[in-house]
Amino acid sequence: MDLDSKGKGIPFKFYAAYYPPVYTKFKANNITELIRGIANVDKFSIFYHVFHPMLSSHVVPEDLPNDFAFWLRESLHDEYLAEVVADVEGGEPLQIEDIRKEIIELLNTSTTEKVADYPFVFISCQPIIYPLNIEARTLAEFIDAIGRVPARSLFYHFVYRRVMGESKRNEFTLWLEENFGLIDLGEKLSTIDPQSYTDEEKFRTDLLNLFEEELLR
Amino acid sequence: MIEKYTEIIGEDELDGIIKIAERLKDFSILHVNSTRAGGGVAEILNRMVPLMRELGLNVDWKVIRGENDFFKVTKSFHNSLQNGVGNLPDNAFETYNKWQEINANELPLDYDIIMIHDPQPLGLINFKKKGKWIWRCHIDISNPYQPVWNFLKEKIEKYNAMIVSTPIFARDDVEIPQFIIPPSIDPLSIKNIKLPDITVKRVLYKYGIDLKKPLLVQISRFDYAKDPVGVIKAYKLAKKHIPNLQLAYVGSPATDDPEGQEVYDKTVKEAEGDKDIHLLMLPPYSDLEINAFQTGASVVMQKSLKEGFGLTVSEAMWKKKVVIGGRTGGIPLQIIHGITGFLVDNIDGAAHYIIHSLKNPDLVEKIGENAREHVRNNFLITRHMREYMSVMLYVTGRTIPESLKNPVLQ
Repeated sequence: MDLDSKGKGIPFKFYAAYYPPVYTKFKANNITELIRGIANVDKFSIFYHVFHPMLSSHVVPEDLPNDFAFWLRESLHDEYLAEVVADVEGGEPLQIEDIRKEIIELLNTSTTEKVADYPFVFISCQPIIYPLNIEARTLAEFIDAIGRVPARSLFYHFVYRRVMGESKRNEFTLWLEENFGLIDLGEKLSTIDPQSYTDEEKFRTDLLNLFEEELLR
Repeated sequence: MIEKYTEIIGEDELDGIIKIAERLKDFSILHVNSTRAGGGVAEILNRMVPLMRELGLNVDWKVIRGENDFFKVTKSFHNSLQNGVGNLPDNAFETYNKWQEINANELPLDYDIIMIHDPQPLGLINFKKKGKWIWRCHIDISNPYQPVWNFLKEKIEKYNAMIVSTPIFARDDVEIPQFIIPPSIDPLSIKNIKLPDITVKRVLYKYGIDLKKPLLVQISRFDYAKDPVGVIKAYKLAKKHIPNLQLAYVGSPATDDPEGQEVYDKTVKEAEGDKDIHLLMLPPYSDLEINAFQTGASVVMQKSLKEGFGLTVSEAMWKKKVVIGGRTGGIPLQIIHGITGFLVDNIDGAAHYIIHSLKNPDLVEKIGENAREHVRNNFLITRHMREYMSVMLYVTGRTIPESLKNPVLQ
């Protein structure tokens, strides 16, 4: 593999984002209210609760990688529902509306009428995006950048843009396929489900391991 | 000065702050509050305004003025918003409006972005000349006295956005966007820097603490909301299992709190006969001493029954302490039960986690590490400043950089 090739000459420009939280007015004290909230909040709220825990600013137990699962166990004491909601899929090609629908279906299987110890307060967010002034033109530059850009940049390109429907696929796959024709590598990247991570650096390591296996052999 | 935070927050985070600040450099920004010194708002602005200027922002800070009649009214507003009970001076609303007009005539309000802190200067919006206005609410407005709330709400709705410290303080009857931005601690202040071990020991020794015995500490006023009697009861329960346990309840005099003496007297009565209980009254601004007590504690309590936000929790967590906190106010944002500390709902629970923590030093170490990381990521002044700037980008419509409006890959 020629790591210094520029492919079709399309540069990859790295951005990152913060997601300042915004109040939604939706709260839930039981399963019915949780379902109602999930059905009605904006897509940024579902994104925030399902994916934001991947960033280290948001502490959750390692076995419960989203806010809904955490609340189901900690406040509603429903271990089973917590576990199934924890494992909701978030990989490609799923977008935020698919994930919303899937969680509602899982919750609809519950017959519990328990009242939670404390309410689930739905938060939305208002993404603030900023450029890193880092560009990759070759595979070598790209690998180096993946190793050093802030984790929230990886998250922005790999997760946010795709699940929010702002790009067709994760942007690393898009670039590798469009600029270099690396279809296999792009497909392998697409199989990574970001929803299952609670550690952003573990996510980076998995990306780098994949690049090492595919590009440095 | 800003570079000093790099070793605490990392280069990536500082870079993010710088990049966000760059997009605000062509705006004039004004903070307005009601006091230059004393209280958390002034403390934050005293640190944050210079930091924002260092980032190249054109930031000013102005303080409104008023005479006794005005501050009597705003104090009554403050109380009525927090406890839901109205006890207003005569002509309160007229007095409030009069001083808004006086201040509006004296202050330059022709800035691009104006952040108004708390209810005292809230009414300046009626004299808006230009720009985007943000109301930063630092207090609990979840259960207000309705006439006062209605009076203020009509003004709040004229702002472009408001900010509350926790979702539980947010309002369902307000239509403007409500950002949730918790307050913060400054890791470089005297209250939070790492003290030499000998300084910690020297301070504890001065106040009669036995350096060889485990020490339970709560830092708070003698106020029913902080449940000092409950703290002592939990300590007594725990002492049955940890016979050499000591308690230091470190408060400060609150001359503006008529209940303070009554609560103190009840606390003294509850503590009677136990020489291992130290009820201390430190003068205001005893930052070094508070740091020493938090650093020297084996376990920290914040057993509040009602709490604004409870930054003493983050202060102790920053020092890698296990904090046992009441499940109220902003404490659950800081303490994630079993991960960054313990949340409790009653005295028995508090006693249980005192014992549990003191019997399990490995657990204490792990939780302490998590606690500091959680504070590093969420409750430092740098994050606070970055989120203020993010709201400024939001109200000015600059959430997306120009270069991204025509991305190559789509």
